[in-house]
Amino acid sequence: MRATAASRFSTQRHPYLMAAVVFLVLCAVNAILQPTFLRFGVAASNVAAFLPMALVAVGQTYVVLASDIDLSAGAVVSLVNVVVVSIIDGMGGTGTSMALGLVTGLALGLLCGAVNGLCVAFLRFQPIVTTFATGIVFAGFALWVLPQAGRQVPPDLYLTYAGSLLGVPTVLWILAAAIAFAALVARTRFYQALRATGGNMQAAYQTGVPVARVRLGAYTISGLFAALAALALVGETASGDPLIGGALTLSSVTAVVLGGTALRGCVGGVAGSILGAFILGLISNVIFFAQLPFEWQGLIQGLIILAALAGGVVMARGRQD
Amino acid sequence: MPVLEASGVRKQFGGVVALAGAQFALEVGEVHALIGSNGCGKSTLCKIIAGSVAADAGSLLLDGRAVSFAGPRQAAAAGIGVFYQELSLIREMTVAENILLGREPRGRAGMLDRDALEAAAAAALAQFDDVLGAGVHPRARVADLSADQSQLVEILKVLAAGPRILIFDEATAALDRNQVSAVFQRIRALKGEGRSVIFITHRMDEVFEIADRVTVMRNGATVLTCALAQITRDELVGTMVGGAVARAGRDRRHVPSEEIALEVENLSAAKLAGVSFKLRRGEIVGLGGLHGQGQSELLRALFGATPLRGGAVRVAGQPLDPRGPRAVMRRSIAYVSGDRGRYGVMAIRPIFENLVISLLARDRRWTVARQRLEREVGPFIERLKLKFSSLRAAVSELSGGNQQKVVLGRWLATRPGVLLLDDPTKGIDIQTKEDLYATMDELCGQGVAILLHSSDDEELLAVADRVLVFNGGQVMGELSGEQRTRFALYQAAYASKHPA
Amino acid sequence: MPALGLAALLKQPLAIAVVAIFALLVAGELLSPGFASPRQIVTLLTIAALLGVVAAGQNLVILGGREGIDLSVGGIISFAAFLAGNIMQQQDAYLAQALLIVLSVSFLIGLVTGLGVTWLRIPPLVMTLGMLGVVQGGLVLLTRGVPSGRAAPTLSRIVSEPIVFGLPGILFIWIVVGVVLTLVLRRTAFGFNVYAIGTNEPAAALAGVPVRRTRALLFALSGLLSGLTGILLLGYTEYVFVGAGDQYMLPSIIAVVIGGTSLAGGSGGYVGTMAGAIVLVLLQSILTTLNIPPFGRQIVFGITLLGLMLLYGRQRRLRG
Repeated sequence: MRATAASRFSTQRHPYLMAAVVFLVLCAVNAILQPTFLRFGVAASNVAAFLPMALVAVGQTYVVLASDIDLSAGAVVSLVNVVVVSIIDGMGGTGTSMALGLVTGLALGLLCGAVNGLCVAFLRFQPIVTTFATGIVFAGFALWVLPQAGRQVPPDLYLTYAGSLLGVPTVLWILAAAIAFAALVARTRFYQALRATGGNMQAAYQTGVPVARVRLGAYTISGLFAALAALALVGETASGDPLIGGALTLSSVTAVVLGGTALRGCVGGVAGSILGAFILGLISNVIFFAQLPFEWQGLIQGLIILAALAGGVVMARGRQD
Repeated sequence: MPVLEASGVRKQFGGVVALAGAQFALEVGEVHALIGSNGCGKSTLCKIIAGSVAADAGSLLLDGRAVSFAGPRQAAAAGIGVFYQELSLIREMTVAENILLGREPRGRAGMLDRDALEAAAAAALAQFDDVLGAGVHPRARVADLSADQSQLVEILKVLAAGPRILIFDEATAALDRNQVSAVFQRIRALKGEGRSVIFITHRMDEVFEIADRVTVMRNGATVLTCALAQITRDELVGTMVGGAVARAGRDRRHVPSEEIALEVENLSAAKLAGVSFKLRRGEIVGLGGLHGQGQSELLRALFGATPLRGGAVRVAGQPLDPRGPRAVMRRSIAYVSGDRGRYGVMAIRPIFENLVISLLARDRRWTVARQRLEREVGPFIERLKLKFSSLRAAVSELSGGNQQKVVLGRWLATRPGVLLLDDPTKGIDIQTKEDLYATMDELCGQGVAILLHSSDDEELLAVADRVLVFNGGQVMGELSGEQRTRFALYQAAYASKHPA
Repeated sequence: MPALGLAALLKQPLAIAVVAIFALLVAGELLSPGFASPRQIVTLLTIAALLGVVAAGQNLVILGGREGIDLSVGGIISFAAFLAGNIMQQQDAYLAQALLIVLSVSFLIGLVTGLGVTWLRIPPLVMTLGMLGVVQGGLVLLTRGVPSGRAAPTLSRIVSEPIVFGLPGILFIWIVVGVVLTLVLRRTAFGFNVYAIGTNEPAAALAGVPVRRTRALLFALSGLLSGLTGILLLGYTEYVFVGAGDQYMLPSIIAVVIGGTSLAGGSGGYVGTMAGAIVLVLLQSILTTLNIPPFGRQIVFGITLLGLMLLYGRQRRLRG
């Protein structure tokens, strides 16, 4: 009778371990190429730059754990971004407008997520093509609200975002909040139900797991985090851009895979995805600071990412039949 | 009053009628066996009771009140627990997480209490302590467990919810005698607690050992319900097939030759620890012993489906390196799995495609010459007595037995010299089994050598010329001639069994 | 016996697509007279042909099952168009050379993808996503951001100019692709193998089907067909445009879905996809004709796609 216990530090129990190693290696490389890398200010601005992608990746993680996928995430970011900026700018940049914009943005993200969830979980549409489609619709709405990049937000907003609260940079607070959220959710029955759904949907259903509701929940969370990413981008760029979310969708999937979460579901977690997002950001940094000829940068980045994706998949594989 | 009563239940899946007015009543505190040949509807009836399938018509009474379940959750809430044949475990999650899925203990603020989770799981595992074997503990991944361990965990999962009514659908398929005894002990305890059990099994022994009453189904309807004390085994089997049926393979006509078709020397692989034997042309060698002792693994390793770690294989005197199915099939060896849904048929594809696919692969043919191929496979369709509407119809439209015939036909068309049969009659109706035994006899008469693994001891002992008894991945003994009895089989199977 | 009643026939995706084609033509003509004129139809069919060829590759990949999808097609189209244009440099003498090189390179790119999917067992979504980045990066390297290259005159002529019955050569090329692909799928062992691995891979492996080789070849063929699309696109537009292929990726998937090929693999054929490509092009054209601004077109397009999912893309119930 063969049965073994995975050791406490194996990649089976902690699929993000490989990503953590890669992350540290990249930090080291980055520090060599850019001596100021480890300075607090520079580190904080890096976090600020990577934060939106990390947030979208966090949301994507929940969907992927349920063995689904959200290819509309970037479009939701765009839509929430332009709506929030339009509200704030349209109402004169007052405190009320900011509060209203914030709430509307989050609500909109939840709504978009719910739409995805309803189509995939209750109407049982195939996730890839469906979230492609909703993404097109959301992106279309974004263009409608704000056809061209523009509009402004008051300085208070972006200064707060770039600044600190109680001595800690705002972006770190946001990151910490995301991590805290993930840690809390990981200790709920919902999370177990989510992983079970991704692991074997039929088995989970037969066990009485409310599969449809769980999948809806995952997509709603994804929408929420896309909205948060949009808010972060508002803080970062201080204006609206209907195309801002463009590359974020596929980047978020890349980050999730890099972090050791399996596309087939159940295996992995948020920790890996955050690391994955940071890894992607650091790869860009490294390529930039290595001062490779401009025309080579895209190709090299592509090759590195492809290699990293392959690695991520192998890590998440664990022991399979 | 029965605790559960189903009447007039009808269910159709597309064009296939699964249930045509089924009747079933379960009394409080009884173990009620539900039996019938393949396709009779017993699994479907249980799925309807469990809420995972919706009935087209009929009524379900729980404690005399009519109920209708919208899904498994509602059935579970009503106190119905089900052991599913296909297992409902999440492989990537731990034993503890699986046993308590959906009912995880919560601590402060509704957060999961991992310690309580693992403690509860440990308590559950303790119920089967001496039969579980090594490596089963709350934090073990289900994917790392063996088939019998997984099955026991699934049983524990069903028990953990404390249901009033339990449905066991082939819950003992992968278990050895000790494990089955432990499970039956538990079931008797359940009876004492006033719980009721529906027990589906293909094994007549178990029916007579554990059940109080039995219901026989045939073609989607109930044909008999009675107490087990009032009926004999043969009468029961007769009711299942609707007429007396001669038992397996008594009628053997083939005689093995002296020529060696397959020789295996010190073969080792995962779960195989050095197996050696010779297989003669025209001979049927059975692989027996307790479940999961290497019989299936041997067949799969020989066919190249799993890698070898050591040893040598010779086919008709020439060495063979079983790198993969394609290399092995070119040496005239064929493999048929008992798990036809997973390893046998391409269900949504036409019967024609399923039949010719191996022929095309082995001969490396490029084009599909339809008429020529139809002529080639035609004789085999007839020999196997395959019942089908048209070669263009999807295989999924066929009954289980006929689907298995398609898989067999696919390989017979390649005219193999050695046939590896991996529990081919599992879950197959009696008539088809008889057809298969006759075919095997015929093939042996033509000089084909057959290696047969069967989970049905009776079948194995009756059909095989010699039986190799496996234990722990090794051949512990060989039975031939008069030695082919169940007593001798288990004696050899338990011989020098080392502690795990 | 499969039901052959009219009702069942009409539920077949191909039948629905054909009905949709006629409905769209009628709607288009009503909304904008001249929409369904012969010349317009030829133009629409030409664009549909371009989509149809790349959709053929997508179709193959999806048929192979295991969540097969090719996100890199757009990148390969752009790459192929650029490469072909630069080899040809508007010279007929280099046409054959260009075809040979570009088709081989496209095939090889697809093969690399296929090897990643089969040998390294990287999910197609991830692998083709990665390859897209690599191909696009490679394109930037070669172009340095500046598009260049021109089609050989013969190529442009074959693609765009009417050859027989006023129909341009590209339509014949598309028909040839269709015939060849359908024959391969229905009458060759390779075709049977494709359906086998798409339906039940472990059973196919045990039946002796060369699973990995077959699947790798599917991706290689997708690359090849994307390359062919790039060449045809070059012939159509004569000049190379940046990101010329990007707009083909999503529609290629949609055309396959409309055509009735299951996203799970193992069932469906190319004829449906051809109809699907025509439906899509007609839809896009009508939206343009209605003078709906780009964002509006996008929204309608997305909603239409969701509507299609309602018809074709619904997955099995968990409850029987």
